[in-house]
Amino acid sequence: MKPTGVLFFPAFDWAISPTHPEREERLLYTRDQLFEEGIMDMDEISEYHPRLASFKEVSRTHFCVPSVDTRVTQAHLVSAGSALVMADAFMKGEVKNAFAIIRPPGHHAMTVSHGNRGFCDINNEAVMVEYLRQTYGVRRIAIVDTDVHHGDGTQEIFWHDPDVLFISFHQDGRTLYPGSGFDDELGGPLAFGTTINIPLAPRTTDTGIHYVLDNLVLPLLDEFKPEVVINSAGQDNHYSDPLSNMSFTAQGYAALTTRLKPDIAVLEGGYSVETALPYINMGIIMALAGIDYSNLREPDYDPARFKETADNMRYLRALVDQQLAVFRQREEVVEKNRRKGEEFASIKRSVFYDTDYLREEQREELRICPRCAGFRRITSAATQRTGQRYTVFCVSLPRACCESCAEEARDSYEEMKDRPAFDYVYLQDRILDEFRTFDTKAEVESLL
Amino acid sequence: MLIGIDVGGTYTDGVLFSDGAVVHSVKSPTDETDLKATLLLVLDELLAHGIRDEVHRVVLGTTLITNLLATGQGERTALLLMPGSGLPYGSYRICPETYFLKGGIDFRGREIDPPDKKEIELVLREVDRAGILRVAVAGKFSHRNDSHEKFVRERIGELYPAMEVCLSNEVSGRLNFPRRAVTCYYTAMTMREWNRFADGIEAAIRDRIPSCEVHILKADGGTTTLEGSRKRPCETVFSGPAASTMGAMALSRETLNSVVVDMGGTTSDICLLIDGRPLNASKGATIEGRLTHVSSFAVHSIALGGDSSLRMEDGSLRVGPLRLGPAVCFGGDTPTVTDAFNVLMDLNLGDIKASRTKIEALAAEAGQSVEALCLAVADRVTSTLKDAIRRMFTEWEDEPAYKVWEVVNKRKFVLHRVIGIGAAAPAIIPLLSRELGVDYFLHPYSPVANALGAAVSRPTLAMEVHVDTQKRTYSGAPGGFSGPVKERDYQVHDAVKLARMLLAELSRQRRLSVYSEDAQVYLEEQFNMIRGMGLAGKLFDVGIQITPGFIEEFKGVDL
Repeated sequence: MKPTGVLFFPAFDWAISPTHPEREERLLYTRDQLFEEGIMDMDEISEYHPRLASFKEVSRTHFCVPSVDTRVTQAHLVSAGSALVMADAFMKGEVKNAFAIIRPPGHHAMTVSHGNRGFCDINNEAVMVEYLRQTYGVRRIAIVDTDVHHGDGTQEIFWHDPDVLFISFHQDGRTLYPGSGFDDELGGPLAFGTTINIPLAPRTTDTGIHYVLDNLVLPLLDEFKPEVVINSAGQDNHYSDPLSNMSFTAQGYAALTTRLKPDIAVLEGGYSVETALPYINMGIIMALAGIDYSNLREPDYDPARFKETADNMRYLRALVDQQLAVFRQREEVVEKNRRKGEEFASIKRSVFYDTDYLREEQREELRICPRCAGFRRITSAATQRTGQRYTVFCVSLPRACCESCAEEARDSYEEMKDRPAFDYVYLQDRILDEFRTFDTKAEVESLL
Repeated sequence: MLIGIDVGGTYTDGVLFSDGAVVHSVKSPTDETDLKATLLLVLDELLAHGIRDEVHRVVLGTTLITNLLATGQGERTALLLMPGSGLPYGSYRICPETYFLKGGIDFRGREIDPPDKKEIELVLREVDRAGILRVAVAGKFSHRNDSHEKFVRERIGELYPAMEVCLSNEVSGRLNFPRRAVTCYYTAMTMREWNRFADGIEAAIRDRIPSCEVHILKADGGTTTLEGSRKRPCETVFSGPAASTMGAMALSRETLNSVVVDMGGTTSDICLLIDGRPLNASKGATIEGRLTHVSSFAVHSIALGGDSSLRMEDGSLRVGPLRLGPAVCFGGDTPTVTDAFNVLMDLNLGDIKASRTKIEALAAEAGQSVEALCLAVADRVTSTLKDAIRRMFTEWEDEPAYKVWEVVNKRKFVLHRVIGIGAAAPAIIPLLSRELGVDYFLHPYSPVANALGAAVSRPTLAMEVHVDTQKRTYSGAPGGFSGPVKERDYQVHDAVKLARMLLAELSRQRRLSVYSEDAQVYLEEQFNMIRGMGLAGKLFDVGIQITPGFIEEFKGVDL
């Protein structure tokens, strides 16, 4: 039997600020628990060494403004690189599944990154998805986000990608950051139904979450048939988490992992550093490795402590049925959207970066292509903390796009290079695996 | 005058060292059934060449503990585990007589579940009925709070005073409960036998050289007093590779990245020196296939030595892994690696004619020229060693990293030199170093380097301290130190000061005080505990150690 790969990177020398939830102490007790248990010594586990993600690997997913090296800290590069190490271990067949227990997290980081949102600068899972595609030719991937916060960054990145099924359950956005992830957020016009959100009422318990897992998440995975299943393993649905209000337990997380059977799990949030994280992290590793976790529990664990309400179960049943129906009619909806005959679908959005306290104004256009899922053009502007304002233009070509979209996208980039309105113009050409940045002031192009 | 004696599996080596020179050296076959007699035989021969009263230090490296454990001669021992919550009990397959007790401590050293007095008594009754007289007690996180382990020892003391008890927190202060339990178990299992051996050795040496210091070489390349070894006999395992590495360092005295290759008869041991300092095994010594908390050099052993036999099997050449006696040039029957090198490089070792005759016969059997056959052997030997060395580099480079700077400044092993140790080294090392593209270092004393290494190695000792200013406590181990700390304004330098004090205390107990002032900090971690928006306290982990090195009077080896 192959082992479970574990990469433990607690970043003991990095914090957003000394008292920030994302601080050195966050994985300290997890370290104590894992190492005292001696779990890394077990035959079922294989421990891995982290690495830095390259700027090119980051650029496959993000437009970092103004550039990857000025935007992203080394800690973020190590965190993303660690996810890639686990992806390699899994794809090369060295491990049966893998868990990157890393900080800082990533699931709030969107395609364009002007700064840090929800403790995230770059999106570890999304960087991994493009790496899996480029290195191993994987196409269909599912990401199940079990963090208590909506994975809005991951959702935005794959919003127009019909080959990525993104499922997020989280505490209802009316009651928690980032205030999104409602049941009507279902994906872009050409990727409708491959984004599925499950907003949960505060205080939902193991019973409620397992109901959603068994009756919605697992059937969706069954029907979508992804080649790789990724778990954004946030751990803040725990009853002791200081930033949220849910009633999930370490046993609940472990059982979820056993049933979900993710190929690669990547740690996201979870800020109950002392009373939850050591137990949940241990539980997820044990579940992945097939080790009996019935003897693992929080010191104050009491299975009878939380009972699911009948009201909440009624709500969950209705929501599950509704989302299953949406998913099953996704292809019809996409066809209908194509037949509308629009050349571009566009939206405007305003993105607030809570950690860095800046606001980005963005306009995004999707080419409604009759043959493929289209390419994207994004105009974005934000004033960074330094007072420096950047207005940028980004063109993103998916790997799976058609020739005419590729040509049109490349033309858009060339055209925009002469526009003085933009400070930088970017081209994310995933087909050629080339990532261009044009600095319009200096008239210099750089290539990754 | 200094004496170093290293008991190996096949031979026991000894040197008498004085004023920078080896006055006399001895190589004598090891009698595994009577190690004491073997030691004394070598000691007496060395003493015959020196001035008895001037010998003030004897260092012994012995395989006693390794043998006891390998041959299953350790005394029957019960292991009492208090794992609390976590892994299933079924995963602790440490020994046949394992008993589980209630009681749980968490990572902060807080009690989660109390021990159960009734249950302890029931288990002890069972242990007693089974006729077991030794007990090892290990609790999860006992190094952060030893009260449960102590509670069990007290019950044993009251009910079965004849039972010998060993507590895991007194053996190790590091995280990793299974390794601590294994180390504690092996300690309990071998303690009495070791003490009997120590008594015998001590008396014999006192009888010959009354005022002499007697030290034991440990797996980490340091020594401890015979007295100090009595509580932790496990530390004396694998002193062989430690001795040869210390010997290599003593002879070369350089701050380069080197690989030490100790070519023995049957096996070769490989160690790395990084900037001249030996690399430690990150996981601790593996004893009988189990990971322990015994600190040890990282040693890679391969089944290939000078005496590895050469044979034709199914039309192809086999090199080793068997040893069928010594090389032909030294009176053996079967041609060996040494013989092949003797012929290939015209080394004139022993009876080179005899080497040639056997090698020619083997070449005829293989249908090859003598030169082609010898080259094939050389190629096999160097490529096997090279692979093992490369693997060690990679393992060191790929050790897990827990800090950003460790990943950003990823270490890379650049080899500068190969240091050859052991009888077969002069034949093989020059070829290996050419293959690796680096210089080599051989010394006329290379064949006795391990005994020399033992003779001049200084004591080592380590102490780890954990301070929790929210709980206002500290714990220090090994030794089971604990106590209160003042909460206000505690800083990392206070924790270092405390660690120094505890190390000094431990070295006083073990009579090693001379070197404790040289202790170096190897671990210094501090974490703010933030609860709500404010500082609730700080956690410090400090590790301090007297690192491997040489005794003050050793200034190098003259030729």
